[in-house]
Amino acid sequence: MPDTQQRTEATDATTRADPTTRTDGGPNSDLAVATDDLRLTYSDGTKAVEGVSLAIERGEFFGFLGPNGAGKTTTIKVLATLLNPTGGTVEINGYDVTDRRTAVRATVGYMAQETAIDEELTARENLDFACAAYGVPRDRRADRIDELLDLVDLADVADKPAGGFSGGMKKRLDAATALVHDPQLVFLDEPTTGLDPKARNRLWDYFRRINDAGTTVFLTTQYLEEADALCDRLAVIRDGEIVERGSPAALKRRIGGEILEVDVGSTDATGDDAPADVAVADESDPVATAAAIARADHFGSEATVETTDDGVRVTTRRASERGTDFVVALREAGVAVERFDVEEPSLDDVFLAIADGEVPDLDARDGEPADETRESGEPADETRESAESTDETRESAESSEVTV
Amino acid sequence: MSTPGIDSGSTDESSPAGPPTGNSFLGDVRVNFTRWNRKAIRNPTAFLLEIVIGLFSLVLFAAVFGDVGEFALAEAGYGDVGYITYLVPAVLMQATIGSSFNSGIGLVGDLQTGMFEKTTVAPMSWTAVFAGKAASEVLRIVVQLSAVLGLAVVLGANVETGLPGAVAVVAVCLPVGVLFMAISNVVGMLARDEEVLNAATMLFMFPLLFLSPAFIPISSDIELLATFNPVTYGVDAVRAIILGEDVMTVLDVTAFGGVWNTLVPAVAVLVALDVVFGALAVWLLGRASSADAD
Repeated sequence: MPDTQQRTEATDATTRADPTTRTDGGPNSDLAVATDDLRLTYSDGTKAVEGVSLAIERGEFFGFLGPNGAGKTTTIKVLATLLNPTGGTVEINGYDVTDRRTAVRATVGYMAQETAIDEELTARENLDFACAAYGVPRDRRADRIDELLDLVDLADVADKPAGGFSGGMKKRLDAATALVHDPQLVFLDEPTTGLDPKARNRLWDYFRRINDAGTTVFLTTQYLEEADALCDRLAVIRDGEIVERGSPAALKRRIGGEILEVDVGSTDATGDDAPADVAVADESDPVATAAAIARADHFGSEATVETTDDGVRVTTRRASERGTDFVVALREAGVAVERFDVEEPSLDDVFLAIADGEVPDLDARDGEPADETRESGEPADETRESAESTDETRESAESSEVTV
Repeated sequence: MSTPGIDSGSTDESSPAGPPTGNSFLGDVRVNFTRWNRKAIRNPTAFLLEIVIGLFSLVLFAAVFGDVGEFALAEAGYGDVGYITYLVPAVLMQATIGSSFNSGIGLVGDLQTGMFEKTTVAPMSWTAVFAGKAASEVLRIVVQLSAVLGLAVVLGANVETGLPGAVAVVAVCLPVGVLFMAISNVVGMLARDEEVLNAATMLFMFPLLFLSPAFIPISSDIELLATFNPVTYGVDAVRAIILGEDVMTVLDVTAFGGVWNTLVPAVAVLVALDVVFGALAVWLLGRASSADAD
């Protein structure tokens, strides 16, 4: 709207006129991202983000996980100054996102979910435009561009139009353009969606390098595996609210327990000398007996014990450790064990469980507080988060030197 | 491998303690001006086609309408004007309108590829972003019109006012160009689709050209419609300079004398339309660049 725009222009003018101004801690803030009760409601009433609070320290590699439509992209757009929050406060590198927009923009890099490069220009020209747009001094641009082309392995094709690049090469170029000005903080919105594993690994390697060099990274992803490979800390968003946070290891430990499945039979397997009354008792309900034994003391208080048609399913972090003891205990109680299986759920299964709200009591388990779980699921911004499929076949010819 | 990142602050050496601030307004304009010029050079087909279409029209219309045209000119009192000379304003307007619509097509391209958002998130003034783009488009129109006009002279068209007149001809096409650039940006912002814009180019170009004195002097039947047609003013202004006389067809102004009786009112009408449609386009672009949730 005109009013907002005028205000922004005025703010820009202020920033430009007095570049040495320091306010609200500015560059001295310890936090790269500080949000308090961030909310964003679209004009059609869709509540995309509902009270997200984040404190991300400088130098962190922070992961923001969630399914499509959870509010990841909306959140990142607010943090990157593309959307004004409709509630709460947001400071980036110490600057308020609405009042000090130009200062925020000058200190962050932003890589959108959809690859955004000018396909008519060469890789070098794309970087040159980004350098100029971010005010990199003219005499340093050539060096900076060469440095970045090397970093993303595009030096060989630097002077070819980007329209001929494969999906992975375009993504790498896009990432490089977000970094021309050495931003203190870079936002990466699902940077590897649609890439094959090889291209993905190259990007991961690149992101690690920029983080090692001191840049704070804020990454959104749908893949827990990606977050696990890269991030120091994670927050999981669902329906616009954060439902879980912690290190990848803690998250896996907390919710990534193994599943022990035991099927029990009706007759005892302890031998012919077993007392007849025990066998009869077990025959009446061996499943209940097994469940009672499982609940008793074998797996600790955090385990979940469920009964199935044929036996019990125990979800626990101690399945491998205590599984054998449990089976022995069953046999001692005269319960026949017909099948015994320990499954480790994939990380994506774990993520799906969180995303679908099948793990509602996460917070209670390890004592780390998280926001309340919400019941209703709005359509949110499904279309804004649509995945992209990318052709990566041309990549293989020039990617033999990958280091992972 | 060189270090990927940290020499923080060195991009802002003059004030290491303050927030980096990007460029000056004019610096931002130049950055975007350069980008769009590079794109035009990289992909010159559309640019060259506009010149070819202009020449093609000139030759074609002269061949098809030549005899009828000469007759109509004689009837309307232009007996001493060659038809090809009379046609020059028509092809210049056609080239101007066709080229101006590329502005909206460029905008739609940026909206679709994410470059619009990428440019928005950079620490540049959004008005400078669009000013740079528009400046590049105006430059392109100037080059195209100069080429078409030069080749028209080679083909036998006569500019009575000479080289200064030729420069003035290109100059008075620009308010028409700015008007259709604004319209194409409005259409582009609303439709966000390149095919719609291509269709819109045709929708605007031919009815407006034929409802003006571009090809033959207008009859009294369409005079009212021609009065509300911005192309009429562009055609009249260009023709006044080419012939060196007052040729205004729809307004009767006598206060300025000679050519100026056409030029002053025509340019005034065009500039007024530029302000109205320019403001609408700027408002829509500003809204799209703003961070309001909608």
